[in-house]
Amino acid sequence: MTSRRRRFVAWIGRVVARVRQAGESARRLGEHPERLALPALAATSAALLLVVFYYPVATVFVDAVTVDGEVSFAPIAGVISDSFYVGWLAEAGVPSVSELPSLGRFGFTAWQAALSTVASVALGLPGAWVLARFEFRGRQTLRSLTILPFILPSMLVVVGFYAAFGADGTLNGVLGAVGLPQVDLLPSLSAVVIAHAFYNAPLVTRVVTAAYERVDAGAVETARALGASRRRAFWDVVVPQLLPAVLVGATLTFVFTFASFPIVLALGGTRLATVEVLLFSAIRQLEYGEAAALAVVETGISLVLTAAYLRYERRSQTERSAVRPLSRRELVPSAWRERATWTARRLGSRLAIVGYGAIVIGVFLGPLVSVVYESLVVDGQLTTTAYEFLVDRQRTGASFQVKPWPAVRNSIGFGVATLLVALPAGVAMSVVTTGDSRWSRLVDLLSVAPFAVSGIVVGLGLLRGLVFGVVVFGYRVTVTGPVAITAAHAVGAYPFVVRNVAPALGALDDQLVESARSLGASRLRALVDIELPLIWPGVLAGAAFAFAVSVGEFDATVVLAEGGGTYTMPVAVERYVGRRLGPATAMGTVLLFVTAASFVVLDRVGGGGIGGFGGGNDGGGDRS
Amino acid sequence: MTESIAVVAPPKHERNGFSTTECNNRVVRRRAYLSAVGTGAAAMLAGCQTQRVEESGGTETQGTTTGTATGGDTLVVATYSTFVDAPSTSPGAWLKEQFESEFDATLVYQTPDSEINYYLERAIAGVDFEADVYVGLDTEKLLRVDGRRGEGSYSDQLFRSASGVSGRDTVKSGIEFDPEDRAVPFSTGYISLVWDATADEGSFTAPETFEELAQPETAGRLLAQNPASSTTGQAFMLHTVDQFGADGFLDYWERLRENGVTVLGEWSDSYSAYSNGEAPMVVSYSTDQVFASRADQNLDRHQIRFLNDQAYANPEGAALFRETDTPALAEEFLSFLLEPEIQAGIARRNVTFPAIADAPLSETYDQYAKEPPEPVTFSYQELEGRVGEWTDEWTRRFAEG
Repeated sequence: MTSRRRRFVAWIGRVVARVRQAGESARRLGEHPERLALPALAATSAALLLVVFYYPVATVFVDAVTVDGEVSFAPIAGVISDSFYVGWLAEAGVPSVSELPSLGRFGFTAWQAALSTVASVALGLPGAWVLARFEFRGRQTLRSLTILPFILPSMLVVVGFYAAFGADGTLNGVLGAVGLPQVDLLPSLSAVVIAHAFYNAPLVTRVVTAAYERVDAGAVETARALGASRRRAFWDVVVPQLLPAVLVGATLTFVFTFASFPIVLALGGTRLATVEVLLFSAIRQLEYGEAAALAVVETGISLVLTAAYLRYERRSQTERSAVRPLSRRELVPSAWRERATWTARRLGSRLAIVGYGAIVIGVFLGPLVSVVYESLVVDGQLTTTAYEFLVDRQRTGASFQVKPWPAVRNSIGFGVATLLVALPAGVAMSVVTTGDSRWSRLVDLLSVAPFAVSGIVVGLGLLRGLVFGVVVFGYRVTVTGPVAITAAHAVGAYPFVVRNVAPALGALDDQLVESARSLGASRLRALVDIELPLIWPGVLAGAAFAFAVSVGEFDATVVLAEGGGTYTMPVAVERYVGRRLGPATAMGTVLLFVTAASFVVLDRVGGGGIGGFGGGNDGGGDRS
Repeated sequence: MTESIAVVAPPKHERNGFSTTECNNRVVRRRAYLSAVGTGAAAMLAGCQTQRVEESGGTETQGTTTGTATGGDTLVVATYSTFVDAPSTSPGAWLKEQFESEFDATLVYQTPDSEINYYLERAIAGVDFEADVYVGLDTEKLLRVDGRRGEGSYSDQLFRSASGVSGRDTVKSGIEFDPEDRAVPFSTGYISLVWDATADEGSFTAPETFEELAQPETAGRLLAQNPASSTTGQAFMLHTVDQFGADGFLDYWERLRENGVTVLGEWSDSYSAYSNGEAPMVVSYSTDQVFASRADQNLDRHQIRFLNDQAYANPEGAALFRETDTPALAEEFLSFLLEPEIQAGIARRNVTFPAIADAPLSETYDQYAKEPPEPVTFSYQELEGRVGEWTDEWTRRFAEG
């Protein structure tokens, strides 16, 4: 205990030293350019958002409020008065009690999103508990990899699920081998919900782990010293500090799964059509009025929910100057051989972890390993033909064909470029919007909007708005190619940075910044020297998400490429889909390993950079 | 192949007067990526391209007025991505090689993600494009193209007539699908059932009629695709419309639904589910055994069934964009597509059937590529204004609350 306290005091000492240093260096350098840096960065991010998101999307949404060039609400009215879309809400009167009222496709879409959210939180929370509260070998690597499912192209998830849980899948093989009856899981609503949890539970885990690591051990100790039971201290001290993180995970999961499309069609089938599926059909048949109206209603629902969350996030903020994290327990007690070690409590928690581990292996590892398996085994025979295909394509592929290596290179390039743009942009946006004015809430909401708008609509908007361009003073200005792709990725990525950084910044004690500034440091210098190191785990988590968003992005990448050879790994996977599963799954395996390695490197490099300064935290995100 | 064709392009100011010769007067601004932090504005500039828009009203004519394609011309062929880049085989690379060796020209492919809709969107927005030819039209796509005329800047036809294409008359009359003679069919395919004779320890046999397919014996054994998002799905739906009529096909699908048919989004989803043994029947192409034999797969798992001895035919065509700046070369490309050797080559590599009667295909190909006793298809006129409606009705009936 005393040694921990000593470390804590030493750490505070370092913070104070940094504050002084910042003041001095600022005085030395003079600070004219610095004063403008943050507002300029924030303005640039806003401009970026406007050009690669709001303007393009507006070119599609305009069809929802116009008919033949005249302003009209007919398309939206058409959607919200159609019982196919909204069920009994479109009909006069109240539905009879005897039968469950149908809420149409919107109702079903919300229902499956709600189920998926519950499943994701249920599957993700124990993971946060294990990662934040226990120490074991490989914990850091495991935490770096939690984000991996988030970037998988849906095609691979579908292949993985059919191979793992299908009629002839691994699960049924195992069940058959031990004499249990086979299960018919696919296609079904449950399969869709589990696949959504596969994508989003890691997000919940990552976010909540970071919040858990910021729970102040002192507060828990005080509660215990005052006579609270372990359970009481958990519910009264720990839970309120985790709740905002759980809610941000849940909100994002709902918004993502509300607009789910390929997973629903492939694992649930057309009978479970969501709004996004119908939107896709409408766009394919060029019924833009209906498509835009559907998108507007869909986005509206997601935004209302996000706004509710943001309101809550700001309300629940409490300021803390420094946090001493809870110490981790050993997952396997060092004295595990001794019988006395295994109290009922300890045994119970370890058994629960083993059970959870089994579920994790089934749900996450199962499909991932199946993808690798499909790339290596054909008709029960081990073969490398799929990888030979990749090598062959690399060597002999025509210039207009998709080759593996450029895909890998482009993915990493875009990922790093996105990170370099989204990170400063997100941090600047966070600084500018900290505070509880109505204005800053609105800016916050507007920057989260990219999550809430259908990817199909964004794709069409980018085509109309950027690829076709606009005529300015007799010149047609178009925005395509690698830089446009990076910009589009950055716009999708930086809200993640903001959601990780803004709450952590808001929770910092204002006095830290004030004292630095009173010593002469600019706002930027105070941010870089004082605040960022303190909230480094949040910044790092934001960086990991930014990279992940870029690597996983598909729609904007293909639309803005304009045949320029700027394809990425998910594009290559999609291109290699054919009658045989080998080529696509082999490329998928490459994608898996490349991104896994990137995340580990990112966490190591980032963690090593400012390591030690952030107290006990050595990575992970923070969205409390 | 180099007979003289005099072609005079129509005045090109008709489409808002934008220049199609953008390469000449395009101002490209590329700036170095400035610095890691705060590159937003610089990034935007670096990605921008500006291009002079010409005043309208000119009477400039363009294109080659002498018949023979002049040396060193470039032909831009727009198509769907699997035509040039499929993991198995695709005709694209071979076709380019053959064309360039036969003509003194360069062939460049464009494969936008939204396929023909991309060019349609450009026409509506009044923005030029470079493509001269589109490869991969079918009846439904052509209807889509024609259905949007009159919107925005899209007033004239997107495609021009192909009646002057030499060899045009060799195309089998049964697969013609454009009443206005713009699309030249170059291949055709049939959508049928593919089934697995090794299922149920080898005792499974696919039903022979639509009626049997809806019987309890085949409950839960069929994988199909969403007609709104897949070509095979749409063809199969149209086949049921042909079979049961516009008033009866939805009732039939109701029976299929009760019988546990699995309708997935795309052909690839359902085919991978089929490969994983999810169900022993899948709606797919009648050339399935060609792939299977090439990959030395067990043909028992790739049996073909033509329900009621029929299959829905889906011919594919190529057409000349009206605004092409090399009309002579573009026409020569279309007649090149119809040469017997090229027809056979495309069929083998695209794994489809040729559009002409005497393409020299091998006996093995004939053995594995199955043709139905009775092809079924709807004409342009029969589908006009209806196919969208049928698809909508189908979606509304099939999606459950």
